[in-house]
Parts: sequence; C-alpha cells; structure tokens
Amino acid sequence: MKRKILAGLLAAMALPLALVGCGGGGNATGTAADTTKPQAGGDLVMARADEPTSLVPWVPTDNASIWTIEEIYDTLLVPAQDGKSVEPSLATSWKQSADKLSWTFTLRKGVTFSNGQPLTSADVKFSLAQARNKDNPFAFIDAVIASVTTPDDQTVVIKTKQPWSPLPADMALYANSIVPKDFGGMTEDAFAKKPTGSGPFAFDHWTKGQELKLVKNPKYWQPGKPYLDSVTFTVVTDSNTRATQLQSGQAQINEFPAYSSIQGLQGRSGVQVGKFPSSRVDYLVMNNAKKPFDDVNVRRAIAQSVDRGSLIKTVLFGTGEAAGSYLTPALWSHDDSIKPLPYDLNAAKADLAKSSVPNGFSTTMTINSGDADALTAAQLVQNALGKIGIKVQLKTLDPSAVSAAKHSGDFELGFTYCTTDIIDPDEIIRFGGLYSGGSQALYSQYKNPKLEKLADRAAMITDQSKRTAIYHQIQQTVNADQPIVPLYYSPALYSYSDAVHGFKTLPTGNYNLVDVWLSK
Amino acid sequence: MARYLIRRLLLLLVVIFGVITIAFFLMHLTPGDPARTFLGEKATPQAVAALRHEWGLDQSLGSQYARFLGQTLTGRLGDSVYFRTPIVQLLAVRLPVTLALMFLGAVASVIISLPLALLSATRPGLPAQAVRLFNAVVQGMPAFFVGSMLIVLLGLRLRIFPAGGYGDNPATKFYALILPAVTIGLAIAPLLIRSLRASMVEVLSSEVIAFGRAKGLGGRRLLVGYLLRNSSISGISILGIQVGGLAGGALVVEQVFALPGMGSMLMTGILNRDYPVVQACTLSFAIMVVIVYLITDLVYALLDPRVRLS
Repeated sequence: MKRKILAGLLAAMALPLALVGCGGGGNATGTAADTTKPQAGGDLVMARADEPTSLVPWVPTDNASIWTIEEIYDTLLVPAQDGKSVEPSLATSWKQSADKLSWTFTLRKGVTFSNGQPLTSADVKFSLAQARNKDNPFAFIDAVIASVTTPDDQTVVIKTKQPWSPLPADMALYANSIVPKDFGGMTEDAFAKKPTGSGPFAFDHWTKGQELKLVKNPKYWQPGKPYLDSVTFTVVTDSNTRATQLQSGQAQINEFPAYSSIQGLQGRSGVQVGKFPSSRVDYLVMNNAKKPFDDVNVRRAIAQSVDRGSLIKTVLFGTGEAAGSYLTPALWSHDDSIKPLPYDLNAAKADLAKSSVPNGFSTTMTINSGDADALTAAQLVQNALGKIGIKVQLKTLDPSAVSAAKHSGDFELGFTYCTTDIIDPDEIIRFGGLYSGGSQALYSQYKNPKLEKLADRAAMITDQSKRTAIYHQIQQTVNADQPIVPLYYSPALYSYSDAVHGFKTLPTGNYNLVDVWLSK
Repeated sequence: MARYLIRRLLLLLVVIFGVITIAFFLMHLTPGDPARTFLGEKATPQAVAALRHEWGLDQSLGSQYARFLGQTLTGRLGDSVYFRTPIVQLLAVRLPVTLALMFLGAVASVIISLPLALLSATRPGLPAQAVRLFNAVVQGMPAFFVGSMLIVLLGLRLRIFPAGGYGDNPATKFYALILPAVTIGLAIAPLLIRSLRASMVEVLSSEVIAFGRAKGLGGRRLLVGYLLRNSSISGISILGIQVGGLAGGALVVEQVFALPGMGSMLMTGILNRDYPVVQACTLSFAIMVVIVYLITDLVYALLDPRVRLS
C-alpha cells in the first residue's frame, strides 16, 4: 500500500505533518472491549488527509481509495483481526487440491449486490479477469493464477501455475474485490462514477475535493449490519483542522492525528486515541549499487550509528518500536530473535575501519520536501553519521521527484517505508528483501539469488511451520547483510469521539466499519 | 476606451501564452513520473511503461507541447490523469469556490481597513497608535496561523462558525467562506490601512477638504464625497495587486479551511505530477489575475477622471 504524502506548503511552514503509522505491537489504547449492545443508526463523518483517486478496485494504490473500496465491495476472504489468518467472507470454504495446483472456493448463498443483482461465480470470474490485467498495479499478486473456472454458480476454481500457499491471502486483497459481471451492464467509466458492490455500504455521492458519502447497503448479507446509516469521508488536508473538527463534533474520526498531538489528546474527555497494529516499517535505505555502500562493513557501521531510540522519541513522540527484522511483526513469520543492531559508535567506527573507506567519506541523503518528520529524522541521521566520519549532505526534492530518483537508482541514502497488502508474508518478504520482488529490494539494489530460491520454495509449501523456518532464514541473511536499516515499527493512529464504538483497523489497514456504531 | 480594452485583451493573450508555456516546461522538466505516482511503488516497470504510453508521456517534449497547445487553443483542457475525470468537471466545482473566496476576501479587507484607516487618520493620538500596533501584529502572523486561530476560537470554543469544510447549499457555503475571507482580509489589511491612511492624511490637509468645508459641507458628505473618493485611489491599486496575488494565498487558506478550491487542486496536481491539472490551474489563475488587474484599472479610471484609459 502506498501512502501519499500530501505535505506541501503547509508542512513546509512547520505545521506538523500527520503520517500514517503502523507496525506491530501497538495496543489499542481506546476503549476496552465494548460490552454494551450496539445501537443502529447514525451518520459517521471521518476526516481524512487525502482524497481517493478511484473506486474501481484494481485501479488505485493509495490508501484513501483502498480503504473506501473495502467498504463498498467484498472479497472472497478477509484478513482475521489478528492478521495471522484469513476468514470467510463471500467464500464460506476453500481448499487446495491434492496436486496443490488449484484452489476451490465455495461461495456464500443468497448474497446480492447493492442493486439487488445476485452475486455468483460468474461475477468472481469477471472481477479476477479484470484484476489480473498485467497493466494493473497489483497484477503481480495475481500473476501466479493460470485460470479461473466456474463449475456452477456457487463454485470457483482457481488454477495456479505452481503450488501457491499464499492464494487465500491474495484473495483477501482489495484489488481482487468482486464487482458485478460486465459492470452490471455499464461501461467501466460509467461504473467508476457509480460503483456497485456487495459490501456493507453502497456508494451515494462523491463531490471531488470535498466529500465522498456511502450509505448503508440494505441488502448486505450479514443480518443486522452495518449499524451506521451512512459514512462520509471528508478531505481535510491540514492535521490541525482535522483535530479541531473532531473536537467540535464536525467529524467523529480523525485519520492520522499528528504524532505530536497524541499526548495532548490522551486523557482529554470526549476524544480517544486508537493505536492499532499495522504493518508499517520505516527504513533507512542505502543504494548498495553505489560505492562505498556495496561494502557490508560500511552498511553495518551506518546501522550501528543510528540511534533508533532518539528517532522514535523525536519523530514519533514515542509511538513506535525499534525495528530488528525488515519483516513487520504483524505477519506470522516475523523473526523475533533478530534484534536491532545496537547503537554503538565504537563498534560502528571499528566496522568502518575494516571497510574500503576507513577514514569516512562524503555522501548525500535524498528526502521529501515538505515532510517535517522526514527532515527531523534526516538531521538526526546526519548528525549521527557525522560522529563516525561520514559527512552527509541533505537533498530535498518533492515526493514525486524523490520517487523518480529512487526508481532510477539516482540516490545514495534515503528513507522509505512499506506496508503489506496481504496477510501472507510472501509479498513483503519479496518486496523488502528480494531483487526480483519489485522496486529492487526497497530501492537498495540488493541482490542475493539464494534468497529468490528460498522465497519461491516457501510459497509452494503448505505447512506453515516449514514456511516460517524458511522466512526466518531469509530475514537472518538480510539482517547480516544490512542492505537497508530497519528503523521502527509504528502503529496506525486514529483519534475519535467517545461516541464511536467498535472501531478497530486490521493490520492491512481495513477500517471494518461494518462493526462500528455510534452511541447517541 | 474601446481601443484600450482591445489592447488589454491582446496583452491578456500574450500573458496567458507565456504563463502556460512556462508552466508546461517547468512541470515536464521537473523530475517525477505521473505514471509511477499513480500506480504506486510496487507496480512493475511494464505496467508503468504501459501507462506512460497511454498518456503519451513517451513522446518527445516538443510533440507533447504541440499537442497541449492544440488542445488549449481548441478549448479542450483534457482529463485529470490522477483522478481520471474531465478537468472541466473539476473546475466547475472548484473555480467558483476560489472566485467567491477572493471576492469575499477583498470585501473583508475593505471592511476591516476603511474604518481603521479613517480612525488612524482622523485621531492621531491613542487610536492611531492602536491601529499601528494592530498592523504590526497582524502583518507578523502568516495566514495559516491566523486561519488556525480563527478555527480554534470561533469554530471550536465559541462554535459560531464551522471548523473548516464547505457547505452543501448557497447559505451554508457562504457561511463556510466567512472565516477564510476574514483570514484573507486580515492578510491584506495592514498594507491597505497604511496606504489609505497616508492618502487620507494627505487629502485632509489639502485644498479639497478646505474647499468642501468652505462650501459648507460637513460630516458624512465631506467624508464620503471628498475624503474617501480622493484617498481611495491609491487604495484601489494596492487592493488590486493584493487580490491578484491572492491566487497564491488562496492555496494556503483553502488547505487550512479544507475548502475544495483551485489552490488545493493545484497542490494535489503538482504533487502527483498531474500535468493537465497543473496546466488548467495555472491557465485559470493567469486569467483571473489579468482580469483583476483590468478591473482595477477600470475602477481607478472611474474614480479619478485625470486617468485616461488610452
């Protein structure tokens, strides 16, 4: 998932920029489990920093779109709350064939789209065919699918090119949401303006730049749900204004309150803060294709001179945990035995002395302009590396230019982060550590062919403990090589009114508004 | 008069051509890839290349510019690549918001400035000092700070106005624009007050007022007919320049107040490298600024018969 940083001028003027957090281990500090009976009715307003780009499931990659899509449509399966497995949604059961080359999904009976049209296997086949189009951003997730067949209305058989254990998790990806076959008789453009799904909420209207409103889907298949009559997502770029709207009652949920505001909000009456486990990991990236970052001693020296504790304290105001493995703890194969390389300037200097540049060197760090958090973090890193003789010059470019520089390998040091889109480790093991996993191992250009073979093997094995062992091996190898320095795991942050109950986001970010209700 | 207008309209075309050409090359020469921004960091290079081809970004800069000019000349603004929506539809929503904001901001600045300038010109003692202090303090506060403070004070504490956001009918929309307009008004006020006050002082000591007094005029007639008319001439040009420059200020104010105007559209467009949106926005802003200057000149001529529009 990509989180767009629409920072711009305001943040440049030193207003704190609200960035999404994620990462494991965060506890919901909001209300304890609600024991009161949910009340039906009410209109929820959620103030968000960004506006969706498209509500056609396989088109967008930004969170504002993804998290709206998940309210309008259903997927065959959904991630469990703990993020460790998948649960039934449109499919009630699923199993892999004996030859491990196909998966059979049995669909729930009696499900209709919000327009009343029944949902059948033909709709699933049509939707997956759209999502698999190789020009779509998330087509790589479905690349393993060989064919989709529909023996009857309630059965879908997905053949894979090789045994593929992550397939159930892939079917919980937002891009694989189910739309009516042939867009219910509309063109794709017309459908994009009036999207129809079988999810808890139905599209009502979208005033670009202002608000997007969803209303309760009266035909939703879970009896008695959703509780809310409507959900309105408003676009409020400025984090101070979002916070004020929550306090004045104009909005009930503030997405991404600024880290700096969290302490002030805790204990304030009427407002609660939710820190939900997410899969976000932030990294310091080194371009391993450039000298002297091709030298593991240089990379380890850098890793040991970064004080994660002060980064977390200064940038996240304490809302995060120092990262060891590059794989998020939100996923089941995270290797907890990998600890962050300790902050130790003497050890760092010793490693640098063994390297090709024993007396230090000068380099540049490319960061997003208008992102106050990135600038603070960069200054801390600059200062830390200065102590072991590495002179860092900061280079600020606007986010799109930074992205272009990273993709073309035209940078030396930088920051990046990633989140997972599926709850199987396969995606992030590859994206974060493998050269072939897309974007060359988080732009580091790190190449270790041994890891490619391991990841391929793990995806073919059914036994989860055997897969875990292989994923641990991959994480340990990456940790020894330190192509990137994992900095911290951070939770997803929301602040919301006391009247909001049952709000808990999943590690993949889904809001799960189907369970949310408002007390009057 | 007619010749003057024709000349100004021709000049308008030259200015607009210059602005959109500069905007085109600035945007296209800045690093950053709209296709990558749209498809996200995980998309394959093949998917990015396919989208670049679809959007014509793989053609030479010259042919992209020629196509852009052709489209603009025939009045087609094209589609937003990021939102996949015709830009005309986006402008239809956003342009009225920014125009209303600029107009109300100008009105607010006059409402704030006139009485204060008058007070400081006619009461040299403590009142004049207070106005001077007001000017210094307000000028030292950037618009995003004033906006946030107004939201906290009037939106949250006193609950008189909404804490940002826009309405869904003319009345609520107007209501939502009041605080942003006051923010803009306050940003312009210090310069306007100073210029108005200076010319008022000058006019007060001039023969015009003595003539009016000699004619037996006093009170309101003297104030409106002689003092305001004669001293507002310099104020009009200051106001015109300031309102013209508001195009940039509106951007900040719109972000703070979560208004769906041109400023936030331009901002999103630049960050996403949504070239057609950036071009349409700069074109609109260029037209707006030139028209505001034209109106300023016309009003100037109406107020001061010595100015000949030729």
